[in-house]
Amino acid sequence: MYSSLILLPFFGVIVLNLPFRALMKKCAFWLCLSIVLFQICLILFPQICCFSDKLDALGSFFKFDFAVDSLSRVMLFCIGIVLFTALFVQRNNCEDEDKIFNFANVSLLILCGMNGVVMVKDIFSLYVFLEITAVSSFILIAFNKESVAFEGAFKYIILSAVATVLMLAAIALFLVISGDTGFSAISSALKVSQGRFFIGFAVGIFLCACFIKSGLVPFHGWVPDAYSSAPASVSVLLAGVVTKTVGIYTLIRIVNSIFGFGDPIKHLLLAVGAISIVVGALAALGQKDIKRMLAYSSISQVGYIVIGLGTGTALGLTGAIFHLFNHSIFKSLLFVNSAAVESETGTRDMDKLSGLAKKMPLTGITSILGSLSCAGIPPLAGFWSKLIIIIALWVSGFRGYAIIAVLASVLTLAYFLSWQRSVFFGILKEDLANVKEAGFGLVFPALILAVIIVGVGIFFPLFINSFALPIENILGG
Amino acid sequence: MYLDIIILVVLLLASLWTVMTRSILRSAIGLALTSVILSIVMFRLNSPLAAVFELSVCAGLISVLFVSTISITQPYTTEEILKRMKDMFARFRFLPLIIIVSAIGLAFVSIKPVINLPPPEAIKDARVMLWNVRGFDVMGQILILLTGVFGIVILFKEGLKK
Amino acid sequence: MQDKIILLPIIIPLFFGLMVFTVPKGFRAAKETLAFLATFLNLLIAIALFKSNISFSLPWAGLGLEFSLRLYNFSAFIILSIATFGFLIALYSIVFMRDKPSLKQFYAYFLITLSLASGVVLADNLVIMLFFWEGLLLTLFGMIYIGKKEAFKTATKAFIIVGIADLCLMVGIALTGHLSGTLAISQINLPLDALGSIAFILLMIGAISKAGSMPFHSWIPDAAIDAPLPFMALIPAAFEKLLGIYFLTRISMDMFRLTAGSWVSVLLMSIGAITIILAVMMALIQKDYKKLLSYHAISQVGYMILGIGTALPVGIIGGLFHMINNALYKSCLFLTGGSVEKSTGTANLEQLGGIGVKMPVTFACFIITAVSISGVPPFNGFFSKELVYDAALERGLIFYLAAVVGSFFTAASFLKLGHAAFLGKLSEKNKSVKEVSFAMLLPMIIIALLCVIFGVFNSLPIGLIQPILGKERLAGHNYSGFPSNAWLVIITIIVLLGALLNHIWGVKNKGSGLKAVDHIHYAPVLSVIYDRAEKRFFDPYEIGVKIAHGFSRIGFLFDRGIDWIYDNLTVKLTFAFTDQIKKLHNGNYSTYLIWSLAGLVLIIIFLI
Repeated sequence: MYSSLILLPFFGVIVLNLPFRALMKKCAFWLCLSIVLFQICLILFPQICCFSDKLDALGSFFKFDFAVDSLSRVMLFCIGIVLFTALFVQRNNCEDEDKIFNFANVSLLILCGMNGVVMVKDIFSLYVFLEITAVSSFILIAFNKESVAFEGAFKYIILSAVATVLMLAAIALFLVISGDTGFSAISSALKVSQGRFFIGFAVGIFLCACFIKSGLVPFHGWVPDAYSSAPASVSVLLAGVVTKTVGIYTLIRIVNSIFGFGDPIKHLLLAVGAISIVVGALAALGQKDIKRMLAYSSISQVGYIVIGLGTGTALGLTGAIFHLFNHSIFKSLLFVNSAAVESETGTRDMDKLSGLAKKMPLTGITSILGSLSCAGIPPLAGFWSKLIIIIALWVSGFRGYAIIAVLASVLTLAYFLSWQRSVFFGILKEDLANVKEAGFGLVFPALILAVIIVGVGIFFPLFINSFALPIENILGG
Repeated sequence: MYLDIIILVVLLLASLWTVMTRSILRSAIGLALTSVILSIVMFRLNSPLAAVFELSVCAGLISVLFVSTISITQPYTTEEILKRMKDMFARFRFLPLIIIVSAIGLAFVSIKPVINLPPPEAIKDARVMLWNVRGFDVMGQILILLTGVFGIVILFKEGLKK
Repeated sequence: MQDKIILLPIIIPLFFGLMVFTVPKGFRAAKETLAFLATFLNLLIAIALFKSNISFSLPWAGLGLEFSLRLYNFSAFIILSIATFGFLIALYSIVFMRDKPSLKQFYAYFLITLSLASGVVLADNLVIMLFFWEGLLLTLFGMIYIGKKEAFKTATKAFIIVGIADLCLMVGIALTGHLSGTLAISQINLPLDALGSIAFILLMIGAISKAGSMPFHSWIPDAAIDAPLPFMALIPAAFEKLLGIYFLTRISMDMFRLTAGSWVSVLLMSIGAITIILAVMMALIQKDYKKLLSYHAISQVGYMILGIGTALPVGIIGGLFHMINNALYKSCLFLTGGSVEKSTGTANLEQLGGIGVKMPVTFACFIITAVSISGVPPFNGFFSKELVYDAALERGLIFYLAAVVGSFFTAASFLKLGHAAFLGKLSEKNKSVKEVSFAMLLPMIIIALLCVIFGVFNSLPIGLIQPILGKERLAGHNYSGFPSNAWLVIITIIVLLGALLNHIWGVKNKGSGLKAVDHIHYAPVLSVIYDRAEKRFFDPYEIGVKIAHGFSRIGFLFDRGIDWIYDNLTVKLTFAFTDQIKKLHNGNYSTYLIWSLAGLVLIIIFLI
């Protein structure tokens, strides 16, 4: 059944590039959208897939070999939702049919790549799909061919190339040690031959590769430039789900399935997470550009996820994955809001904006919800995940880190409040008097995401049973 | 042993030159040189198939692509570009040939592996390996290629038109 | 069904009070009718309920909190008093308040106050009582507030003072509930041990502050100037005395076993004695009709507290009798003040004088009530004061002397007031003054008559009061009739004559009734003290406010300090970090690459 998640986008790309170019240009957006919607529906209602047998047969032709657990399903859902949002944003921002066609193509490729990353159980396959995702995102960042975007993409390519090299080297070493590239084989081989120089080295460089891809301090240099220079839709995609899949998901999967939670790895994750939280939040405080601020905020929030993972307990892992989900939702919402502001006012400079809440009520309200969820204000979804992470830290005895997490949460609130105050509240400037509410493509996804934030927050007790408890089962598996 | 060290040092120097040089053309040539030296290392590591692959694709094909692209994008008039291309092809006319011949020559020189790693369990035929065991990866690699093509089309097609 | 009738004194005024709120602007007669009807019905119910014994209980919040009410001889007596005063003052207000603003709020608060006061008296559960008690605080605030534009400050003052006292009461109730294990008033019976004394004192603070004793008095003179006059006649003069002394009696007689020898008793008597002297000294020098009366309202509380504080049956009966007497003559005095103000447009004694001829009925009522309050036989004040003197003398000469000195000054100040307001030369401005209307006179006449009746036939009220103490306490005594101790009566009469002589001498010296007590006012030491007191140096509220200002000053500095630390350390430090981080992100990819590689090296070193 899940093989359709890779095969459908793959065939989608092929169909789009068949000779009937004029026709395909018209339906590219809708084809892409329907594939994304299919993915969302498949995760929410697994029983709808009635033709899965045939697709599975096709999958076996390609020797597909999957492992889909609850963590993968959470990621697949996030990928679906965020890509759905990004498609709407792109369509709203760009009338050019060619561009939408190209965007749809690359979206399908990146969808393919991310779905692959999420479902594989072989470290080399993981690498291959990471590369698909990475290359697609380079293209997407530079999509509008602006010079800043090329610069951002270039920085991403450089650091990503370093990550690739490190990852390949680590894979080679694992192959040498275990003779196979499957997760389970490597895991058992690592258990047998522990403490060797090689293993420490290989684990270290693999973790560094993951850190670079997730944009954790001090490996984060590419993040602000890439996020802020990319087109609006791509920022949504990148911040919402791409770096989370290629970086954080990989990190969680590899640490959980292969490396295991040894003391050095725990301490490493906690330290890197805490540094990221603090540095990201402090840096976000000083930004004037909305998207740069969101980018630094993203670094900070990723820190929370990693620090949750670093506890090595079922509770911490649940919190980390829940925060991963929440972060996907609220960060893409905030990027959609920033896109709405930029498309209506033509600027992202906070000093030039003020009082927009009167003119753009829906954008204002949804951005408040997103910000508050990010800052961890009850009863929004972000509150619960941060709470779980902090409780997990406290319970496992990492009290200092728990205090850092709480204090940094105050910083988060500070920069989001300053953002809200300078952009949406205050006196409306004269040159902004003609601003209108953003178009349907920007408001509709924002509303959906806001509803998810509020709904998950309020119905958290219902949600925890179907979401969090299965996650505990994957620990160490 | 000493030979290995010398080769690795040369590899390092070549890659450093690639990164450090000011001229983008020299940088491409440096990349080709690095690939060549890498293929020598691969021969010495007892995997001729990979070495040949590296030599032909990375050192040969990609270098040619790079060099031609750089030439095209130079801000010269068409005549100048044509002239320069002629010059270049004249200069590098024999390079692929030299590389391939030297590679084949190296292939017959048997060198003991010096790095003492535990060998993989079973060395399978590359073709069997690629299709039967790693079919999934192959599809992924096809997708990477496809993505690369798309990237070039999307990002550079219009630039070429201008 | 039968016992639900006990709810009526609470429900009827409340219902009518809320009805008043709904009356639209302009329907003045409707509001007046509602107020009149409500108080009249309330009076009928109170008469009907008199002499009956009813207990009513509704299970409520659990934890011993039951909505329980109890009507027995004591509470029925107080309920009747409350209903009577409510009715009479409502009648008076209908004329007096006619052209005043905020009529709707006045009547609504008036009726709600009536309801809450009945609730306090009927409640048989401390928490239920507290609920009504605190409700009174709100209506008190509201009624002062609607008086004048400047009244807000006074209302706040009253709110804070009474609020603090109520806080003590609340703590006291919690402590009492903890000690006794129950909150039902009729089941509590505690000894005055260490904790019990604390609980008693806390409850006592609540009670005497409601009655307006020192040091919780200072809002009353201010309210006399700012609040509507019927409010003064109703609340500080009548209701608060009734409620406060009722509760004080309950706690010292029923809930705690106050004995004559205990230090708490001495404390109560001291508070009473001090209140008598200080308040009356202040009353003596006032030049405003209402303000002078308000100080007497404080001073008279001292007699009641002194009487109850003696813990002797004679004292308690004297205190309670004095309570009812005081409510009578003090509200009547306020009403005469209101009449004078209504006719002449001022309550300032310097602008009054000689209007006794123009307003004979008012003047007559004033004379009767003034001699009552001064304790001239055979008016009611004389009998109750004699009972208190008797008890005070038994407990200590000093308390007796304080009471007698208080009596002297009371008489002196009322001589001054009567002389200055009603006798003397009629000023030009007051030539056209007329007597007030019958509806205003009627309550005054009734009350003045009651003063006489309660004096001459004192067995009537005392006969009602004596059963409250119970048969064991009385031990067969009967305290009605003429005082038994002839020496005390003689001393009293000497003192009163002294006051009269003092007045005549003062008038001769200074030439006017108003200045009759100036020789006391400007006596060497006293003049300084008076000067200070007039400037509110001794007002506990003002002192408290000053202390609070001091604290807030310190708090402000502390806050500034924290603010400074916050500004300079936290925020600046944060932004210093932020700036550094911004500077580090120079956008050069080689820098980022170097960071990454450095991180890589560190991590590998850490892991290997």
